[in-house]
Amino acid sequence: MSASHADALPADPVDRALARARGVLPDQGPIGVFIHHNTLHAFQHLPFHAGVQAGAAALGARPYLTLPQFRAALASGRILDADVRLEIARSLGAQADEPLLPGLSRAGLWHALMVSDSDTDDAAGLAFSIASGTAVECRDLPLWQACLARAAAGPGLTLPDTRQFPRHRDVLLALGAGDTDVAVHGELIRLGSGFLDQGQAHAVVPGREHGFLAAATQLYANGASAPRDCRGAEADMRQAAQNATPAGAIIRSTLAALGIKGDAIEPWLFAATLALPGWAGMFSRLERNPADNIGGPPVALEEFLAVRLLLERRAIERACAELGLAGSIAGDWTQLRAAVPPLPPRPAVLDAALLWRLAHEAGVAGEHIASLPDEALAALWRECAACTDLARREVFQNAYERSYREIILDAVAARQGLPGDAQAERPRAQFVFCMDEREESIRRALEEQHPGYITFGMAGFFGVAIDYMGLYDKEPAAHCPVVVTPAHEVHEQPVFTALKRSRLTTSLRNAWLSGERRARAASRTLAGGAGISLLLGPVSVVKTLLRVVAPRLSLKLGEQVAASVAPRPATRLSTIRIADQAVINDSGKPLGFSLAESIDRVCTVLNNIGMVRDFAPIIVFLGHGSTSLNNPHESAHDCGACGGRRGGANARLFADMANRPDVREGVRQRGISIPADTWFVGALHDTADDSVRYYDLEALPPGSAARFEEAYAALERARRENARERSRRYENAPLDVSPEQALRHVEGRSAHLAQPRPEYGHCTNSVAIVGRRRLTRGLHLDRRAFLISYDPTIDPENAIIERILAAVGPVGAGINLEYYFSYVDNETFGCGTKLPHNVTGLIGIMNGHQSDLRTGLPLQMVELHEPMRLLMLVDATPEALLAVAGRQPEVAELVVNQWVQLVSVHPETGAMAVFDNGGFVPYAPRPTLLPVVEKSPEWHMRTRAHVTPALVRAALPGSAVGPGHFGEPAMVDAGAL
Amino acid sequence: MIEFLRFALVAAVFAPLLGVLVIGLMVLLGDDRPTESRVAQVTGAGLAVSIIASLAVMAGHLGLIGVPLAGDVEFGAWLRVGDFVVPAVLLVDGVSVSISLFAASLTALIARFSRTYLHKEAGFVRFFTLLGIFATGTQLVALAGTLEIFFAGWELIGISSAFFIGFFHERAEPVRSSIRAFATYRFSDAGLLIATVATLQLLDTARFSALESAGGLPPLQSTAIALLFLLSAMGKSAQLPFSGWLPRAMEGPTPSSALFYGAVSIHAGLFLLLRVWPLLEVSLVARTFGVIVGLGTALYATAVVRVHTDAKGTLAHATLAQVGLILAEICFGWVTFALIHLICHAFLRLGQYLKAPNTIHDSHRLGHAEHAPSALERWSPRTASRLYAASIHRLRLDDRIDAAIAPMLALAGWLDRLDRRWRKAASLDTGAIEATAIKQLRS
Repeated sequence: MSASHADALPADPVDRALARARGVLPDQGPIGVFIHHNTLHAFQHLPFHAGVQAGAAALGARPYLTLPQFRAALASGRILDADVRLEIARSLGAQADEPLLPGLSRAGLWHALMVSDSDTDDAAGLAFSIASGTAVECRDLPLWQACLARAAAGPGLTLPDTRQFPRHRDVLLALGAGDTDVAVHGELIRLGSGFLDQGQAHAVVPGREHGFLAAATQLYANGASAPRDCRGAEADMRQAAQNATPAGAIIRSTLAALGIKGDAIEPWLFAATLALPGWAGMFSRLERNPADNIGGPPVALEEFLAVRLLLERRAIERACAELGLAGSIAGDWTQLRAAVPPLPPRPAVLDAALLWRLAHEAGVAGEHIASLPDEALAALWRECAACTDLARREVFQNAYERSYREIILDAVAARQGLPGDAQAERPRAQFVFCMDEREESIRRALEEQHPGYITFGMAGFFGVAIDYMGLYDKEPAAHCPVVVTPAHEVHEQPVFTALKRSRLTTSLRNAWLSGERRARAASRTLAGGAGISLLLGPVSVVKTLLRVVAPRLSLKLGEQVAASVAPRPATRLSTIRIADQAVINDSGKPLGFSLAESIDRVCTVLNNIGMVRDFAPIIVFLGHGSTSLNNPHESAHDCGACGGRRGGANARLFADMANRPDVREGVRQRGISIPADTWFVGALHDTADDSVRYYDLEALPPGSAARFEEAYAALERARRENARERSRRYENAPLDVSPEQALRHVEGRSAHLAQPRPEYGHCTNSVAIVGRRRLTRGLHLDRRAFLISYDPTIDPENAIIERILAAVGPVGAGINLEYYFSYVDNETFGCGTKLPHNVTGLIGIMNGHQSDLRTGLPLQMVELHEPMRLLMLVDATPEALLAVAGRQPEVAELVVNQWVQLVSVHPETGAMAVFDNGGFVPYAPRPTLLPVVEKSPEWHMRTRAHVTPALVRAALPGSAVGPGHFGEPAMVDAGAL
Repeated sequence: MIEFLRFALVAAVFAPLLGVLVIGLMVLLGDDRPTESRVAQVTGAGLAVSIIASLAVMAGHLGLIGVPLAGDVEFGAWLRVGDFVVPAVLLVDGVSVSISLFAASLTALIARFSRTYLHKEAGFVRFFTLLGIFATGTQLVALAGTLEIFFAGWELIGISSAFFIGFFHERAEPVRSSIRAFATYRFSDAGLLIATVATLQLLDTARFSALESAGGLPPLQSTAIALLFLLSAMGKSAQLPFSGWLPRAMEGPTPSSALFYGAVSIHAGLFLLLRVWPLLEVSLVARTFGVIVGLGTALYATAVVRVHTDAKGTLAHATLAQVGLILAEICFGWVTFALIHLICHAFLRLGQYLKAPNTIHDSHRLGHAEHAPSALERWSPRTASRLYAASIHRLRLDDRIDAAIAPMLALAGWLDRLDRRWRKAASLDTGAIEATAIKQLRS
């Protein structure tokens, strides 16, 4: 957001604080449609490390894994020690080898501080372990004596005071008062949720159409009482209501009353806005995106802040009074801030222990320590102070990424050493999936079945951006990436012969649903609750019992009953509109595509994925979505490229277009000849229960039936294998599970009310590979790679790669970074464990009965993740990539600031170059012998941990694997953190 | 046969607790934390035994196994202090066996649900341990033959409830809510304790079967005791003015909220009144009071439901409204109807609570409520606004209670300061207690 750039900020401190806060507040919309985005998007204009550190500091979060987590990764071999040393050297540059002690260079000092907990701040624990003789220092007592004496003589290590006291509340807490935010937030949450409610409550805040400030103050003017800890606020509110004081004036007068002046205003107000980030973020989000709040009240972050300050002021005054602080102090922020007791000085024993460990590491003798000059000791301490916790973790993060990156690059290089997948025969079937890394496994499972099964990957809206209205939908919804606004609407309509019947079943269905809705609402009223308890209570408990004991069967049973009472009619999409009689519907958008538009869409997609020759007789396009119950984050598992919705309609629409003879004729005129016997089929892959639903099979020509049956059988096998590969991650499925059992297992997960992990979603995503499948076919990528098909040989102008990167870069990085942040600090960037989650106002979730709105991803979605920046390999020359970056500012920002790790793989030579510090640096792959397995389950079904790449012979062209890669596959345990 | 049924009674009560002890031993003696499946199996086995035993007792009571079993079943003395004997007696009648089976089955259902729901959760063992303690508590309450045994079960329910609310104790809010619920329980439990002692004093026994004779007590005494029972029931069942802790109890994991505040624990207060009905029946004052409290709570909760935006809080108050209604039914004397209402209501809410996280999914499927102005809003916007504020603030019940106990806390604080000053004067305490910074700032 440009708002966060310093030069674009307003001059007024209040406005500036609000503008800055807007950039940092969570930008997640109402949870019904979940869209992955970079949690710290506002910091993307900074280099990655600077950006995450600034963003985390603003939110009080952790930007990286913790040191103990990194050290555990080092111990397990997930990070190589060599990589740690390499990254230290890279970070220190020319000064790395300067000696600080004899035998201890600067790099050595950093290494020692990083890999072990030398600079502990636990003085009491240290004193105890030394007294009891269990401390490491006791191993060399003369050295310990020398260190103790030398450290006591000074100079000492001084660490900066990193405690933060941005607001009164923090100072008051440090002085022993209660938390003023408890009462303030309680009231804000109640009023805010009643104000923003999108349909959960029967009654919302009266007068909310006048805005939050007016509605809240009017409640008080009508006689509401303030919380006990904010007493006095009701009078302020009343006055504000009577005078209709604008929010800005309230903020300014409150700041004045609290004695916050001049330069202190901006940081104080910034911190106050971020104190309840979820709710404030929702106000900010809805203010800037009214489309998320159709029919809702006018929303303004400033008004939210004004109400907050009205309450907070009185809470502060009351807390000051309780502490017995004089009235003048409560009204003078500078004076109060100065009252915080200073940090106690660091005991010399801690310095001594650090000195001992460093001397021990360097092999320095006690005499030398005793005679260490003051300047040398001071220099040592300066370096120790410079090697902050954050600096160490930054280096660790680079090493963590490097260790993984080199494994992947080496594997891709090794795969390139094998013959490509050129083949003489016509492909038997082609399958086009979403680029989603969850589809990597099912693609592999298809390719392992026959060399003639070819798969592709692309953004899962398949080039058709539409507002789609399904048969039972109430209004159209955009099925395309969020940055695109669809220009067309497409409806699903019953076929003519089913129209009459469909009217009947639709009215039956509507009657049932409205009855259910009414019963649900009535069960919450007094009389209705009694009536429904007595009538339906016993039925309800039987249903609950069945749903808990036999989730899969009871769900199926229910669906069967519903389907027999009101079967879903056969439908068609309103795909094509006759060009010269454009049907414009209420929204002003044409219903369906014209012939020319259809030809255009089909050509673009085929060119994007490089499917311009060798068409198979059956080509299946598979969108994806996810079904789960009791899961407020259900939409987060749907297709990101479809704006958090399911891609089935897009696949169906595309297939419908591509099957039309007039469209094919137009496509042929543009140089792509689709054979007459080729048929496109649209389908939807459910990534939770691994079902595949096909569309419009009624229209399948009889001549294609046999071919389709083969493709269908292949997908049937593949989805079972896919279920099996997913099952290995679930501890309650055995590792020797059969494909059939695995399918039932994942179906059970999807249907279970008690299942917090219906699927793992994008968890573990780490790589994106844009290029021909020959780079990766037969390579086991462990469901961690976004795979985007692209053929550089048909893209001399770099037009296609520009299109692809402009779409894929931000989407892939958004997903990857959301997982990154939700993992490294699940409580602040993520939303913690799902178990106490409580849906509120249909806009989000809280913890328990009232808490901040929890944004980001829950623990259960991210627990297996490895937080790394997306490693993006592109089958294009460095020059082509630089040219694209020059034309696409959003891609350039991600790449130049290194929020993704971009690697160019030369289309002809295969040479690799990693983008670093403004330019491409060649990478020389280490010669690698990849483990070889016949089929991928042999590789991944041995462990629940991440697996490193392996070659899967069944998916490779016949003679591809030479003797070099044979041998007993070595298990490399990447080690889950 | 009677021996078998006696054994079944004991098994129904203590099997879940035995499971807890086994898990405790596994934790103490084992090298590692016991595995999830082992913990779930042990708890499940305890609950299964409890259900089977409870079924057997029901069969015995209905006469399907030999002579029908009914009335007090003696197990000797629980406690003996000089001449004073607390008998161990369980009571078998239609109400006790049906509530016993009802509670055991629902607890088992929740245990099955939680095995999946709590997978990989750090507090897995703790959760199942508490569930076992709760199960024994409910069985004691259901089958107790005397008020003393009832009280023991009552306390087990209370303590497990407080621990479930504070389940996520790494955050402050659950702990605050847990303490509030616990304090409310302690206060209202005093009513049960005093009533028990009074009953012992006046009737020489605290057997439920002896309460029939309570009709003979002087009206003042019977009314006082009935009011004390009512107080206790009001706290446990979150009736006004103790309703503030109930929405806060939604801090725990979803299944425990379902079991406690949708199904079993919230109805325990009502069950107490059903047990002591003979005493309550004769006191018109207590019954009138109960009707007022019950209907008042029902209206209050209904008003709160209208404005609440969160799934669990809405359910909590919807439940509370019915509980208030059932309380009124009991006090009107419609005892059997109230029991049926209670059980059906628990059945309904259990499922609703378990599906609370499904709200978004449901709103996509069913659509959601439209906000149309109510008749009141059109007629008197000001009244509607006041009603809205009172509902969303939940009458500021918690604040009022805090204000009411503030003098007591102030007294405690004053005594504490006095104590410190005395210790300082007696130089018993050398360390500086007050933060120097505060002293400097004091005017």
